Amino acid sequence: MNWLTRLTAALLRWSAGMLPPSRRLWLCALWAEADEVPAGWLRLAWLAGGVRLTVREAALGRRLGYPLAFAIAAAGVAWSAWSGPPGDSAIVINRVDVISIVAILAVLPRVIGRARGPVAGRLRARLVRTSGYVTVLALVLVKTAVERVADAPPNNLEGSVRTWVGEVVFLAVMTCYVAVVLAYTARRSPAAPGTVGIGTATGAAVGVMVYMLGPLGFPLRFTGSWPARLYDAAMALGVLLALCAPVTAGLVAARRSSRSTPAASPTRQGAMAGLCTGATAALIIAVLSTATIASLPHDTVLRVWATAHIGQWMPAVSQLAPIYGPHSYIGYMAGNSAFAAGYLVVLLLSPLAGCILGAWAGWVAGSPGHSRPQRPRSAQAPSAGSPSSS
Amino acid sequence: MGHRSEFSLQTLAVLADLCATPSQWRHGYGIARDTGLKSGTLYPVLIRLADRGLVEACWEAEQPTGRPRRHLYRLTPQGLAVATAALAQARSTDRTQASASVGGRRRAAARTAP
Repeated sequence: MNWLTRLTAALLRWSAGMLPPSRRLWLCALWAEADEVPAGWLRLAWLAGGVRLTVREAALGRRLGYPLAFAIAAAGVAWSAWSGPPGDSAIVINRVDVISIVAILAVLPRVIGRARGPVAGRLRARLVRTSGYVTVLALVLVKTAVERVADAPPNNLEGSVRTWVGEVVFLAVMTCYVAVVLAYTARRSPAAPGTVGIGTATGAAVGVMVYMLGPLGFPLRFTGSWPARLYDAAMALGVLLALCAPVTAGLVAARRSSRSTPAASPTRQGAMAGLCTGATAALIIAVLSTATIASLPHDTVLRVWATAHIGQWMPAVSQLAPIYGPHSYIGYMAGNSAFAAGYLVVLLLSPLAGCILGAWAGWVAGSPGHSRPQRPRSAQAPSAGSPSSS
Repeated sequence: MGHRSEFSLQTLAVLADLCATPSQWRHGYGIARDTGLKSGTLYPVLIRLADRGLVEACWEAEQPTGRPRRHLYRLTPQGLAVATAALAQARSTDRTQASASVGGRRRAAARTAP
């Protein structure tokens, strides 16, 4: 018991330094009373309460929890990407990716924080920021997994230049994504409350829908006529929904922001909601599809499924490379359908398209002919969070 | 339904304890003993009350023998007013809820009676 009390007392003494000076005297007050408390469990509980006070007042959950979680996640991604022969070009690319992305994720909050402030106090903002970080790390993780099974680039200058230009573009795009996530979830965010949430939720739904329609990044082929027709109809509906999503998000965000913050430009809010929709959808599609591709060469069930559903595509692909067997063939497909062109284009164009469509929707929502009639103002305007009086 | 107090039950317990002898300086362990609160709950409550200007705190003026100086607490005049109002509101809420539950039981008994 004594040693436990002494240990807790030492922990309390050590942790006092974490508190701001204005709070430290309260810990001293608690400490000063410890001698009054009867020795044994009661004194131990008293001192343990002091440790709890320190954790609470120093906001250690936030100050240590987030960096610790990020460090663990980054270490996990690095461990996954690092192993392999150093001469292998894929391993070199993987290592560059991991180092760059971890540096971007660690440094950019400080850069954006100077202009926009720290993360907003709202739970939604923290959730979006954490989800953004998790998704970007997951993208790097699955990308490095695909690089291992991808075919090596041509061993000449043109091939190397193309590979590294692709990497630079990928890292630049990721920097923009992280910057947008940080700026939109900051305390002085340009987005009105609700805009980021609407855009992100819509984008997540679109991303999952598009992934389900084409889990490997291109349309599936069904041999039966009835499943093929059903799939074609689902594809048509999916394309329509994917196009309508940023418009709807922009419209809703613009209308909502015009009610909560009348000074906000509807076109700007619509553009930001559309950008969030496009960016979230692109990230989710890229992560899920690349994860599927990465697991393809190793998973027998998935390989059999893929062989059955994309069989008609094989002859076209096989003209580009000789087939040495089912394993190398699928590995080749994985390499080509990964980042070299497909998902990088999605990551680049989807936010731009979303931004344009959302801005148009916001402009329409803000134009006098389409704006909803304002309610006559009563003597006391309802607060933003109050329930509607309908 | 009664209004919910702006203070938690733990805060109300601390306010009630300080309200009992408003002019006297109290120390943390004494309040903890009277209210049954743990130190990890009591001190955050005292910190919030002090931040709001409802409680004033100071160190013992003279160094006592055999123990360190204590940090002492008492309600400010504003704190006393707020505490009195909050405790009165809490008591009235308790009475309302008690009478509602007794009334509810009586009505239920009347409904089930043959």
